[in-house]
Amino acid sequence: MAKNDLTTRNLMLDSLKQYAKNRISFNFIREHDAKNEIPLDILKEMYDHNILGVHLLLIPEEYGGLGGQTTEIYRICEQLARIDLGIATGVFATFLGSDPLNVGGTPEQKAKWFKKIAHENKLVAYGATEADAGSDLVSLRTRAEHVVKDGKVVGYKITGSKMWISNGGVADIYTVLALAPGGPSWFIVEKGTPGFTQDAHEDKHGIRLSNTAGLSFDEVYVPAENLIGLKEGQGFLQAQAVFGYTRLMVAAFGLGGGEEAVETALEYAGQRIQAGGPLSQKQGFMLKLITPHYVRFEAARAYIDWTAKQLEVNNHGLATEGAIAKLYATESGNKAAEDAIQAMGGFGYTKEFAVEKIKRDVKITCIYEGTSEVLEMTIFRGRWQEHLKSRGQYYLSQAAEFDTIHAQNPNVGADSVALGFRALARVLEDCRANKLTRHQYVTFMLGDLISEMEVAAVFTRECANKRVTEGSRFDIATLSTMARVNARQSAFKTASEGLRLILGTCPTINTAEVSQAVNLVGIEDKMRGLIDDMDTVSAKLREIFKK
Amino acid sequence: MNIIVCIKQVPDSTQVKVDPKTGTLIRAGVPSILNPYDHFALERALDIKAKTGAKVTLLSMGPNQATAVLRLGLALGADEGVLLSDRAFAGSDTWATSYALATAIKKIGGYDLILCGQMAIDGDTAQTGPGIAYHLNIPQITFCESIDASGNQVVVKKLIEGGHQILEADLPVLVTMTMPPDYVAKYPSFMAAHKAQDKTIHTWTAADIGADPSKLGLNGSPTRVDRIFPPPARAKGEMFSGSAVELANKFVEILKKESVLK
Repeated sequence: MAKNDLTTRNLMLDSLKQYAKNRISFNFIREHDAKNEIPLDILKEMYDHNILGVHLLLIPEEYGGLGGQTTEIYRICEQLARIDLGIATGVFATFLGSDPLNVGGTPEQKAKWFKKIAHENKLVAYGATEADAGSDLVSLRTRAEHVVKDGKVVGYKITGSKMWISNGGVADIYTVLALAPGGPSWFIVEKGTPGFTQDAHEDKHGIRLSNTAGLSFDEVYVPAENLIGLKEGQGFLQAQAVFGYTRLMVAAFGLGGGEEAVETALEYAGQRIQAGGPLSQKQGFMLKLITPHYVRFEAARAYIDWTAKQLEVNNHGLATEGAIAKLYATESGNKAAEDAIQAMGGFGYTKEFAVEKIKRDVKITCIYEGTSEVLEMTIFRGRWQEHLKSRGQYYLSQAAEFDTIHAQNPNVGADSVALGFRALARVLEDCRANKLTRHQYVTFMLGDLISEMEVAAVFTRECANKRVTEGSRFDIATLSTMARVNARQSAFKTASEGLRLILGTCPTINTAEVSQAVNLVGIEDKMRGLIDDMDTVSAKLREIFKK
Repeated sequence: MNIIVCIKQVPDSTQVKVDPKTGTLIRAGVPSILNPYDHFALERALDIKAKTGAKVTLLSMGPNQATAVLRLGLALGADEGVLLSDRAFAGSDTWATSYALATAIKKIGGYDLILCGQMAIDGDTAQTGPGIAYHLNIPQITFCESIDASGNQVVVKKLIEGGHQILEADLPVLVTMTMPPDYVAKYPSFMAAHKAQDKTIHTWTAADIGADPSKLGLNGSPTRVDRIFPPPARAKGEMFSGSAVELANKFVEILKKESVLK
């Protein structure tokens, strides 16, 4: 069977939207949120082949699934997040839980377990996190000891505990990371296995429609055939191989959550009359609370989509890009949800409207699958190596590429991207020359600046190529205006923040010299026309979202 | 039994606005959907297919993007699709459109039952279905809420002023369908959407169906849309509550104030 084309993807998205419209009302969500209860019936329906069968996307075709491409999976994740991030998390946990099998399973293991997941609508959970081992999996404590019979390892006894496991209390199948004699390894454990218990459901700040629970293993016996890949010591490799991919999905969650919040606020603003006109007509309201978020959403969308397309070619890897996508999109979504409450004033602060819940929900996207700070560190490490390897040319050569783009297409902010990359290259080089990365804070902030510039670059390049990202509701002219706004701000942030870091950590550096070197003045000069551009975007938003 | 269902891609009218100055539709960012009446008609055709094993062929006219609604229909269970797509069709009114669709239906051939939605929500004319029946010279029953087909006959429930009629008709016949108010459209599962990719959609031009060019497009259209405008906004009504006597007094008071009563 052919890969799903764009029409099929859109059909799937429509089916999901219509299902949500008919079955998951805001009142339904609100009640479950208040009761801290997972709507298991809804999850089971979403897994039902005859209704939706969402989970089939993650199962390879040869095992009865749809073998979904990264692009359709992230787009479904975005849409799920727009419905409810708790429900989205419940679905995603099955995706995530199946990943070790996808990456490391033998054909026989895949055939056995994927068929179960595909045809029996099984919920899966991913059991990695422990009290002392989050992103730092090296501190893993759960152990798997050999059970030997006639001199042969016939099984394992797993002992230990896991915490904050999505679907923890409700899953049928668990993939569990444990330390075997040969090193960290993934095991498949079924619900009901003697010695395996699930703790009480956590009382969380948000995503309260998702079940989160600890897991306890007291000498839980699993047969040797449940060791994923039938080889010990592959656990970390199998976990890391999918980070680029799984983080991209959480990036789509941040995007979807943020969009839903701001769209709710914008709809409200179209009807809320203040001082003689709707709020959405007020420049200050739009430019402060609404418009910048749409600019960042479209930048995030372009970057997520671009990374997804790369992943489809490379299959796995792209850990730095996945981290950039997640950091940028989830932080943007989180801030957007915060502003959506502000935009709706008192209404936004009540539980009558969705934005208050979305704000609580979307915060998790900055935490799970790697906190923003872990991602900043990952991004910094990835690109720092490139900077050193290329002797400082990594971003300078990209700046040159954007000079060329600007010469051919002066309307997409490529000039600002080029300036931003030069500033970034200079900041990294000053950090190297003065050993400033000994400050952990500097490394975090550099990770953030790198993500800011790389997203701006992709967005601008896509606009220069006249490519409207799949799922975007804007035309290329509006997207180009957004890219200009975004590139200017990203370059400004990179230069000004970079200067703050360098001057703040290095007493010997010459202020005037470094200031000139990052060319803050040149970047500021590109701000001319910025507010006009933002007004143009606001006008387009009013047109598209007018009721 | 061979069933042909005529379907149309339309802008989601719940999201379309009319520009009051130019009188044109603001289509920016408005998603396209399968016309809900056609969606209902298609589902009824699929019910008949489930019961009788009928073959269901979808027919649509429009630009290439209209493939999306054909795919939706195929994913829901139709067997194949035909898209009439040609610049020659552009600008056709309901008369020229029904001529083109009828000509395509003749080419498909061997039909027993033709199902159409009562009307498309972007034009609300309800003329295309009857036009097709005229061009094919077959009987038609319009405004039907339910349909059952077996053997060589259909039985329909046709809505009429103040009630309904149960009618029987021999095949071939064209029936236009309207949905009950509580109708919830079905959408395909992900797997069904995926499998629809492997079903055939034929794309035919005016020449492919042997249509007379003078009967197509603006040339073949005796009607023209003069302008489209939204109804003028009505002033908001005022609501009162109270006992019958209070309300009657209030009513008289207002009529006096408005100089209707003296």
